[in-house]
Amino acid sequence: METKTKLGLVFFPAFDWAIAPDHPEREERLLYTRDQIREEGLLDLPEIAEFRPQIATRQEIERAQICVPSVEKVCTESHLIAAGGTITAGDLVVSGQTERAFALLRPPGHHALRIVHGSRGFCTINIEAVMVEYLRQRRNGRLRVAIVDTDAHHADGTQDIYYNDPDVLHISIHQDGRTLYPGTGAVNELGGPGAYGLTLNVPLPPGSGDAELLYAVEHLVLPVLRDFQPDLIINAAGQDNHFTDPITNMNVTAQGYARLTELLAPDLVVLEGGYSIEGALPYVNVGIILALAGLDYSGVREPELPPAAKKAGRVHDAVVKNVAFLQEVWAKRKETDLAAVFGRDDYFRRKRHLYYDTDDIHEVQVEEIKLCTQCSGYRKIHSYAEDRRRKQAQIAAVLLPWHACGACQQQAAEAFEQLCAEPEWDDVYFQNPADLKQPLVSRARRGKR
Amino acid sequence: MSALIGIDVGGTNTNGVLLKGSLVLKTVKAPTNHANLHAGTQEVLTQLLAALPEKERGPVGLHLSTTLATNAIVEGKGVPTAVLIIPGPGLRWEDLRVPFKLYPLAGAIDHRGRETGPLDQAEVRAAVRAAKAAGYQALAVVGKFSPRNFQHELAIEALIQAEFPEMAPVTLGHRLSGRLNFPRRITTAALNASIAGIQAEFVRMVEAVKDQYQLGKIYLLKADGGTLALAESVNRSIETILSGPAASLMGTMALAAELEDAVALDIGGTTSEISVFSGGEALTEREGAVIAGFPTLVPAFFSRSLGLGGDSQVTFDGTEVAIGPQRVGPPVALGGPQVTPTDAVVVLGGAALGDEQKASAALQAMGAPFGLEPRALAAKIVAAFAQKAAAAIRAVYAELNNRPVYTVSQVLAGTDLKPKRLIGMGGPAAYFIPKIGEELGLPYEVLPHHEAANAIGAAASRPTFAITLRADTALEKMVVPELDYTAEIGQPFTFNLATARQEAVRQTVNYAKKMGLVIDSSEIEITEEEVFNMVRHFYTVGKNFNLRAQVKPKIRRILPEQADA
Repeated sequence: METKTKLGLVFFPAFDWAIAPDHPEREERLLYTRDQIREEGLLDLPEIAEFRPQIATRQEIERAQICVPSVEKVCTESHLIAAGGTITAGDLVVSGQTERAFALLRPPGHHALRIVHGSRGFCTINIEAVMVEYLRQRRNGRLRVAIVDTDAHHADGTQDIYYNDPDVLHISIHQDGRTLYPGTGAVNELGGPGAYGLTLNVPLPPGSGDAELLYAVEHLVLPVLRDFQPDLIINAAGQDNHFTDPITNMNVTAQGYARLTELLAPDLVVLEGGYSIEGALPYVNVGIILALAGLDYSGVREPELPPAAKKAGRVHDAVVKNVAFLQEVWAKRKETDLAAVFGRDDYFRRKRHLYYDTDDIHEVQVEEIKLCTQCSGYRKIHSYAEDRRRKQAQIAAVLLPWHACGACQQQAAEAFEQLCAEPEWDDVYFQNPADLKQPLVSRARRGKR
Repeated sequence: MSALIGIDVGGTNTNGVLLKGSLVLKTVKAPTNHANLHAGTQEVLTQLLAALPEKERGPVGLHLSTTLATNAIVEGKGVPTAVLIIPGPGLRWEDLRVPFKLYPLAGAIDHRGRETGPLDQAEVRAAVRAAKAAGYQALAVVGKFSPRNFQHELAIEALIQAEFPEMAPVTLGHRLSGRLNFPRRITTAALNASIAGIQAEFVRMVEAVKDQYQLGKIYLLKADGGTLALAESVNRSIETILSGPAASLMGTMALAAELEDAVALDIGGTTSEISVFSGGEALTEREGAVIAGFPTLVPAFFSRSLGLGGDSQVTFDGTEVAIGPQRVGPPVALGGPQVTPTDAVVVLGGAALGDEQKASAALQAMGAPFGLEPRALAAKIVAAFAQKAAAAIRAVYAELNNRPVYTVSQVLAGTDLKPKRLIGMGGPAAYFIPKIGEELGLPYEVLPHHEAANAIGAAASRPTFAITLRADTALEKMVVPELDYTAEIGQPFTFNLATARQEAVRQTVNYAKKMGLVIDSSEIEITEEEVFNMVRHFYTVGKNFNLRAQVKPKIRRILPEQADA
């Protein structure tokens, strides 16, 4: 009897696309990974099958994000293929064609926020979110998802998209934000009023290696996953924790990544960052592929290991302390007095300054979330952005969550009409992921664009 | 144009053809003598030469397609072979799925061809001694990433030649293919080493009768439909596997009225073979041929086998007819035990074959419990056959159109391989092909059964070979593994894609010369090329280039009306 293919690999190195010729996100990034995968003969193994990525449609992007002014204006084809390839990977698993899938493609996406004015942290389209929304829509919203982001940078984009979503658990393990872009991801960022405790952040001190990463996985991530019981576990697998990465300060090895993959046993792995294109990516990716396919990865090692890796064992105190704190948060999340955290008004308000390093855009965002007892609450966002040529964009958006209650649906529709009547917005958007045909409605204001 | 002989030594018959230009002067058939392959071949050769007009006498070229290498591998007749491997880090060597004894050695080469671990000469000696002591008679040497840097393989070869001459020659992986795939390279090199002795013996025998028959240049047919000089085949005998199917495809190309974007279905007794033509050329396998279940790096035509043929098992449950993949032997009409698709054809009057009464009785017995009379059941069987074949052809195109691509422009362009016509071959083709064509909505053509098609294919082919050029201007190094060529790049800052192309063409011409061929640079094409800027710490440090060059494939067109004469 034929057994199901263990691993579906959607490999798309985008050999003809770069942010700029000498940018880390360039044509060469997955070249050596391709060479290593081919030379190891991995694509001949019966456990592994390779698939061609599809191209994401505008609707698929708009179910997850709001691109200003439009998807066409902020995306290149490469972004649509990376998002489409991630959808392809998700489909393989959910349709049962393969047991697991790995979207090994570029460009990455985890810094892309709900509202997109351009590219930040090399990301424009949040490929995990586009895939998750696609799969949820296929399941009429009945899908519980856990995203574990192990990139060295805080997954601020994915956190932003899901921080008030009760069906999506988002855990990010990253180099401490006080020492690395984007700066966020502290232990006290725990999610919005509709999903408190479902956003978890484990900052690791610079210099952390396999021991720290695996400690966080074993002592926090795995117990939390057992509690949450997701239908789907996604690992956003950035590979820039590696000891050879040029833009971070971590000490993880290919063996550490492979062990992480084995422990986490994710249904889906999606490549995020990782810019040591010769010293890390070929080895880390082979390690992840072997672990996902259930094969022995003990022979995968880099030509030279870091001196620190040899005396691994003791876990940094800060990590033990952070994990202990989050264990307690998780245990008590249902008893927490939300009024003490989010106030007693009808709405929870927050104001943030967001920076787009790749495109040099500054954004100020004001957000209101309806504190609703029937659903996770509709949201209203005002966003003011300015790029380096002082070109400005002012937009407003109303967002409905999955499973919005009748009252929120009605109030959201009224809020949208009201915003459309206000003269200061260039565009006003209404997003409803549950709308099959048109998840995003946009109204461009006459004369503004 | 001088005369040329093509001979295909098949499983049952040896066919020969004498060509002059595009004209067939004579075809000859003799049963293959498995006890003495050469006897049958020589008989065919004698008859063909006798047909040569007096004024054409003189050295006659010979293109030979033999099952020698294929059979030696499939029947396990090669000598016991071990492989010295330099696995380096990665997938554990113990987990390599290759059917050979492996002796792992220290040393490592990385993806850019840099040595990341030294070879240990003492360990090499010990491994060779151990292999000898264990009774292995042939050795192959294969390192991971050896196409990027083959110095370790060369050093081991030199050591064996100097210290263990009785084990020489050894097969080195990098010489057989510049493509990256360590497990396939191991299999390819090991199979090559295991049959090298058999091939050398064959070459000696052919050389011995060369003068007696006044033969000119002698070539062997390869799996990719090209030819290989007889003398060179001693080193690369593995490339002559699967030359039978290749001869058949070359024959199709030489004889078919129109190919362009055709799908060819060769219907046999047990299986049917699907081949695909695009723009008039037969598609090739992406990595290489699979022989006896083992994936190799041997360039070969693309083909997919389907467990469906004239002798397949037919079952009927009252509603659905199922066919294959088991073969149940000859049709009932020819004295076989069970109903086959051929019996259905016989009952429908599509073939005057054997005993129609017997076939009809068998179908009667199968259909009666469900109240189906023989002709109705026969029509159902033929329809099921056509549906299964059509589904397999659609699946092949889906597979081809889903082949992964690695650039944005390729994804946007899409691959839109679509069959525009169906070409049928093989004994039962005449009856099934129209139905399959109808099922697929394609115009069809059944190639007249032509005994000499394979021999014509062998004769119509010409030399092919490919080389791989890897240049890395940051390391200031370039290599052509197939030719053992390593050179410094003297001016890394002016080395560009144009330079790389020129170099690849020059190397291909040189390779041709080495094999005694005169090939003009205009006959060489670059089939793959990649160039990448290498940036380290935000500065460009160089470029790397990966190119493949080959002799443009060509085929001699054979006039069919003459061929039938």
